[in-house]
Amino acid sequence: MKVLWANIEDVWREAAARWTLIAYFLLSTIFIIIFASAINLDIVDGALAGAKLFGKEVEMHGNEVSIEKIVLGFESGFSAVLYFLCTFLAIFATAHLVPRLQEKGTIDLYLSRPVSRTKLLLSRYFAGLLLAGSNVLYLLGSIWLVVVWKTHVVNYRFLLGGGVILFVIATLLAFAFLIGVITSSTAVSIMASCGLFLFSGMLVAHDRIAAAVSHEWQATVIQTLYWVIPKTAELGAAVFAFVSANSFSTGIELKPSPFITTAAFGLVSMMLAIWRFHKKEF
Amino acid sequence: MTDSLIEVRALRKEYRSGVRRPPITALDGIDFTVRAGELFGLLGPNGAGKTTTVKIVLGLTAPTDGTAFVGGLPVGNPESRRRVGYLPEGHKIPGYLTARQAMTIFGRMSGMSTDDIKTRIPELLERVRLPQWADVRVKKFSKGMTQRLGLACALIHRPNVLLLDEPTDGVDPVGRREIRDLLRDEAAQHGTAVLLNSHLLSEIELTCDRVAVLRNGKVAAEGTIDELTRKSAKYKMVATPIDEPLVAMFRESGAGVERVNGHLVLSVDDVAHLNALLDGLRARGGMLSELAPVRSTLEDVFVDLVKATEQQL
Repeated sequence: MKVLWANIEDVWREAAARWTLIAYFLLSTIFIIIFASAINLDIVDGALAGAKLFGKEVEMHGNEVSIEKIVLGFESGFSAVLYFLCTFLAIFATAHLVPRLQEKGTIDLYLSRPVSRTKLLLSRYFAGLLLAGSNVLYLLGSIWLVVVWKTHVVNYRFLLGGGVILFVIATLLAFAFLIGVITSSTAVSIMASCGLFLFSGMLVAHDRIAAAVSHEWQATVIQTLYWVIPKTAELGAAVFAFVSANSFSTGIELKPSPFITTAAFGLVSMMLAIWRFHKKEF
Repeated sequence: MTDSLIEVRALRKEYRSGVRRPPITALDGIDFTVRAGELFGLLGPNGAGKTTTVKIVLGLTAPTDGTAFVGGLPVGNPESRRRVGYLPEGHKIPGYLTARQAMTIFGRMSGMSTDDIKTRIPELLERVRLPQWADVRVKKFSKGMTQRLGLACALIHRPNVLLLDEPTDGVDPVGRREIRDLLRDEAAQHGTAVLLNSHLLSEIELTCDRVAVLRNGKVAAEGTIDELTRKSAKYKMVATPIDEPLVAMFRESGAGVERVNGHLVLSVDDVAHLNALLDGLRARGGMLSELAPVRSTLEDVFVDLVKATEQQL
């Protein structure tokens, strides 16, 4: 536990000293302020009589719309945006953790302590995850509070959607750690993690891509890749569906398998990172 | 039962140098021990294997063959580092931390309690002459100050084994003396075994009790400073008269003779040879006023060893 606290302190102090923490939370704050000032709702007797979004009048067709429904729509839409925002911010804020640790003159100071390499790497991982998690909480919590303040509608599912976002961040962070251990490069860790996120998003159309390729083996590669790498598109849809309580359709069928295969990918990435870190000579 | 805190046995290390190329041998079966309270110096030219040895002892690198123990535990066991303090060469204590924060983090990683760390920090900063710098970020420190802070971080958890790689690098002469004193105190008062890795021979000579000279991955010589520097059979002779016939007589006996500032430096085969020269001096009515062995410096011994090994290759 002392090792974990030492790493949490180190990671947070580094983030603060290198402006990462400030930039991380400043970007989030700008998003929250834009969101708060963009929504203007006219609520009469608990129902929405008129709404302005980014200064534009929302068409009500002369009907009074249930405020709960409009809040659900807002929150669902924003949860999908936050899914991307939180994930990319987390990658940028944490991808340096292993490459910096492995720098000559630094790694010796850490490994000369009575700490196993597994413990050191996992402590660093959880410290990074705590940093990313605090930002997810700050972003989602603030937006949730803005919505509650403006509409008096409390939808706890919006907050819980952060759990799925954190799950995706945890998976990508494990992958970033693996790349970081192998290459000792922050830039490569960022590129690989962002690339994985976007590429796996494209693979949501794996069946159509497999049908379009000219060789059987290419189709097999596409299908294998789909099952191996994280399912970022499905998990994004899951965030949306979770927050909206399945009130709106995303066109993506939700099943438990994306969660299971994504968790397996993260776990294997972390295990490979630990194995490589153990084998590495400094 | 031995009081060896560091024990290295038949240690070998080979580095792969690429596909279809023979491996590079960094260590070729070295042995040494460092006892409690001993200051042990590891000497050698660049690439001799000094840093590799220290890294194996710390578990940073795995040996190809042989064994190493710290405090009786194999170096592969993280617990062997529980009471080890390490100051690497060119260490990078994160510049964004203050001295206090750095010591706190490394203290925690060594399993210390917060209260213990709090009492230990001012005590150590005082010892390394940095008390007023406790809350200043390390990036503002000079090289010598960073080095002294590194030493404080290495000592934070009261180690009984200290591994120091060029500890006086960048430190001014006063600071060097203080570091030497601090290391001697640690060894004498707490029984700390100190392994000092340096190419500054004068530092090693002033600090260490015993040294090992590494050359091409092997221990070329090992012993106390006294043993290593006394090996040369050279004597300073002050006598009257020192004239050319006397010098010629000494040379005829096979002795090496050098005139230095009015006295002679004689290189003899052994003590019998020296006594024969003295007999010759007295037979000529000469008066001996001083005869003392000329001690080599550690640098002389080191250079001779390196040259001898080069000739063997």
